[in-house]
Amino acid sequence: MLATFKHLHSLFVMALIVAALAAGAFMNARLRHLRESEAFYRWILAAAVNERLFQEDSARDQDLDLYNRCAAVMETMPGFSGLPAPDDANTGELTALGTIAGNYEQDETIWNFARSAEMEELRQEFLALARERKLRFAQDIQYADAQAGGVNVFNLFFGFRKVAANFVWLEVDRYWHQGNTYRMITLMRTCVALDPQFIDAYLIGAWHLAYNATARMPDTPWPQREWHPRYEKCLGEKERFYYTAVDFLKDGIRKNTRNSKLYFDLGFSLYKQKLEDYPNAVKYLTEAVALPHEQYVPRQLFLCLELNEQYEEALAGWKDYAARFLDNPVVQEVAPRFIARNEGFLLENRAAELRKKARETADSAEAERLNNEADVLWEQARAVWESINDPFGEGRKMRMEALDMRQEGRYLEAIAFLDKARWEASDLFNDFSDLIIEIKQEAEIPLTISEKKAVIRESEVGLCAGMPEAEKEKRLRAAEALDSGL
Amino acid sequence: MNGIVSFFSGPAYIALYTYREGIRKKVLIGFLVLSLLVIFGSSFISSFLDPSSETDIDLKLIKDICVTAISIFGVLITIYISASVVPGEVESKVIYTILSKPVRRIQYLLGKFLGAQMIIIVNLLLMGVLFFMALYLRQGVMPTLLLWSLLLTYFEFLIVSAFTFAFSCAATSPLVPTIGGLFIYITGNLTEYLKDVEHRAGQTGQALDKIIGDIASALHAILPNLQNFSIKMQIINGQPNDPPTDVLIPNLILYGLVYCLAGFACAYLVFWRKEV
Amino acid sequence: MSAIIKTQRLNKIYEGALRGQDVHALKDLNLEIPEGQIFGYLGPNGSGKTTTVKMLLGLIFPTSGSIEIMGSKSISSSTIKRNIGYLPEGAYYPDFLQGEEILAYYGRLYGLKGKDLKRRIDETLEMVGMQRARKRLLRGYSKGMRQRIGLAQALISDPSILILDEPTTGLDPIARKEIRDILLRLRTEGKTLLISSHELLEVEMICDRVGILFDGVMQTVGAIDELLIQRDMLIEVDGVTENIVSEVATYGVKLEDRIGTRSKFRMEASSSMYDVFELCKSKSLRILSVTPRRESLEELFVRVIGAAEAARR
Repeated sequence: MLATFKHLHSLFVMALIVAALAAGAFMNARLRHLRESEAFYRWILAAAVNERLFQEDSARDQDLDLYNRCAAVMETMPGFSGLPAPDDANTGELTALGTIAGNYEQDETIWNFARSAEMEELRQEFLALARERKLRFAQDIQYADAQAGGVNVFNLFFGFRKVAANFVWLEVDRYWHQGNTYRMITLMRTCVALDPQFIDAYLIGAWHLAYNATARMPDTPWPQREWHPRYEKCLGEKERFYYTAVDFLKDGIRKNTRNSKLYFDLGFSLYKQKLEDYPNAVKYLTEAVALPHEQYVPRQLFLCLELNEQYEEALAGWKDYAARFLDNPVVQEVAPRFIARNEGFLLENRAAELRKKARETADSAEAERLNNEADVLWEQARAVWESINDPFGEGRKMRMEALDMRQEGRYLEAIAFLDKARWEASDLFNDFSDLIIEIKQEAEIPLTISEKKAVIRESEVGLCAGMPEAEKEKRLRAAEALDSGL
Repeated sequence: MNGIVSFFSGPAYIALYTYREGIRKKVLIGFLVLSLLVIFGSSFISSFLDPSSETDIDLKLIKDICVTAISIFGVLITIYISASVVPGEVESKVIYTILSKPVRRIQYLLGKFLGAQMIIIVNLLLMGVLFFMALYLRQGVMPTLLLWSLLLTYFEFLIVSAFTFAFSCAATSPLVPTIGGLFIYITGNLTEYLKDVEHRAGQTGQALDKIIGDIASALHAILPNLQNFSIKMQIINGQPNDPPTDVLIPNLILYGLVYCLAGFACAYLVFWRKEV
Repeated sequence: MSAIIKTQRLNKIYEGALRGQDVHALKDLNLEIPEGQIFGYLGPNGSGKTTTVKMLLGLIFPTSGSIEIMGSKSISSSTIKRNIGYLPEGAYYPDFLQGEEILAYYGRLYGLKGKDLKRRIDETLEMVGMQRARKRLLRGYSKGMRQRIGLAQALISDPSILILDEPTTGLDPIARKEIRDILLRLRTEGKTLLISSHELLEVEMICDRVGILFDGVMQTVGAIDELLIQRDMLIEVDGVTENIVSEVATYGVKLEDRIGTRSKFRMEASSSMYDVFELCKSKSLRILSVTPRRESLEELFVRVIGAAEAARR
């Protein structure tokens, strides 16, 4: 009897082991599924960011094709197609997938989509492509790395990789102090390849590239510039650094789609401060604001909106911002000034619009009425600038005076006034100079040499090496047209 | 109910005394001191960085180094403790005095295993608390994500511990199971490669290679894959509310428990008729 | 008198790597230990004593045969184990603990707690004379103190069966005496003791029954008075000559020692006292002394083992 008991007992324990191992195998499969889905999910987010913001396409990689097929599958899935889109997104151009991915609060939805049974086929295809390194946005999947085999064993251990990234960064720091910029860039790339979640490496790296490395660089003359096919611009050395920084940050964004700091730096430090590309600045700062962000982020967005002449949005934003931080003295001091500024711009613009309408209309009574209405707005704008009572307000007031003179046909007087005023209101120097040129052209007064040069510079008609023929042709035409105008 | 209480009271005392004995081991204290040195040392390494740039890089550096240090020293502590609690008593013959008491072998094993876990957890907590403090002093914010990372680290250790424990039950001295434990840890981290073996073996089309491939595939399905726990490195520098992480954490905890059960059952199978 | 420990045809084979390396440590052992006695379990090193004890405690398992303790065959059940105290040979104890802590630990494993536990700790410490050292760490104990605390832990649950493996080895004479006294006192309390030892003198002094084991086989077993009952007669006489020596040999009398004319003869216990006197009278020998002599346990042991070794050869 004892022997039977022993036998049964052993059997029972063995059955327990087998059951536990079976449960383990089940969990193994489950975790495998989850981790594959995680990789897939992160790739979808990266590809959606590309669809929504970067719109880059590379013939070599198959990201776009696979992404479009994923998006197509989503359209057919009843649970996902009818989801509410975020209010401010221009949903017309985006796929449903892209729209949902645009709102970080719906990450859960994307995640459920990525792990769903319907996506099984595409998920496997994704893994196969990632293993073959045919997906640009999925190059950092440790999971795929391990399966590709022959990877550094360190990859797998303890997260040594991430620690190594830190030490590489110490080296980057050293090169920076030595002024060895080019070597620094290579190492920076190594660093983020080791640890793609190294946010600060992207931020500081891009900052070094855009600011410190280019600080003492002279402008490159046009003939020595080179054409950049992706950005469709002629880049000198300085600009090349700027765009390297842009690319570096974009790379970071693809790998960390939900980090507002990266969007902020791309929008503010690069597009606003360095490239003065306000539409793009607004685009990325909007993204930064849409994610959990620091308190100062919206302020930069509103400034960029103003610079991009989106006064209504800026005004609404400032008002909302001021209402949200009632107990913050800085906000309460700054916000009213900017609210007033945007109101001033809006009033000026509306007056200008009415005047334009009045000029176009045939009915003189109607024109009279419109002009009167415009005058009221014009005076309101002047009152706003008055109330702001700072150099900027003063400058705007002077600008209005000059415009009044121009309205009355007192061109020379206006030019003289502006010429004097621009030295007093240094904030608006460029603005006033542009206005002088505008008035001179309107009054058919010949431009000075430097003014002509300024016009040409602004018009981007320069030619550079590597430009496609069509572009070259287009720019030559434009230059001729401009030349004849002068 | 009464039966359950009396069944677990024996293991509870054994666990308590195992813990009290284990916590005094010099090797353990050595590991602990080393890891503390690394945790504090990481603060000094960050001083190599440009002090003028106001960034969080030094924080990241400390986090990465500390989590790695905790992993390495923690796993060494885990292996050493799991490999020595039972063979140590066999060697010193203390086991005779215990097993001759009204203590079932399963109770003894349970007590020893729980005692080992207590030692491991206390060590992990000690390292974690210091790390936590080092971060808190610098950052001024509670690094809550760190807690998740430590939790996952523990469940990874739990798997290593259970299998090392099973190994140690078959041994009479702590040395062999310690080496075995390291082997288990390394193997557990490399199971992902088995998939690659399967893939490559499938390419030749020969019968033998096919068998090797099948074996690799079966092992890959059954063996615990410790690489699954690598998200512990991602968590500390990541952001909260990441849906995959939220799903992975409970699954990984369950994973740890399931393999712990498998390891413990193996230990019992080895030990229940073992002649001491 | 019922047997409290009983084994039947108990066999133990330690398996080696190869069949030829198997060690047959116990062969068909039949052991019966009656209640309330001190049983001396004797045998040279490697004879299988510790194997038997370990099997009784469930530390190792018999290859075949059965063990019955207190009438129950499920010897690993806690009801049986609760009644057994065990002092292993040269065991180490967790030496980071104080004397009384270790008793508390082991007491708790027996299920003792609270006041009972405290009372038992006090009693056992008192019994083994360790009251003063109760707060000291085991690390600082001498060998004798360790042995005493070992005895105390075996006694903590007030068991009815005590299994002691070499309880007095390595102790000084006074400590031996004290331990002996404790063991005798335990017997008066009605406990059954199994003492495995090769300290024959000690065993002879306190045991009621002995069993002698050699090469895994029980050679002799019985009450100590029965085993040592063969009495010789030792006669010391004066005036012995060579002729007389050869003549008395035919009567079954052996010469033990001879100095000049004085000799010691040994006669078998069966021969009668009158015959001896008759013989001496007829040879005109002067009787100096007549001593009836009991065999010592040592002599028995050597004789039994010697015979067994001879038989094996």
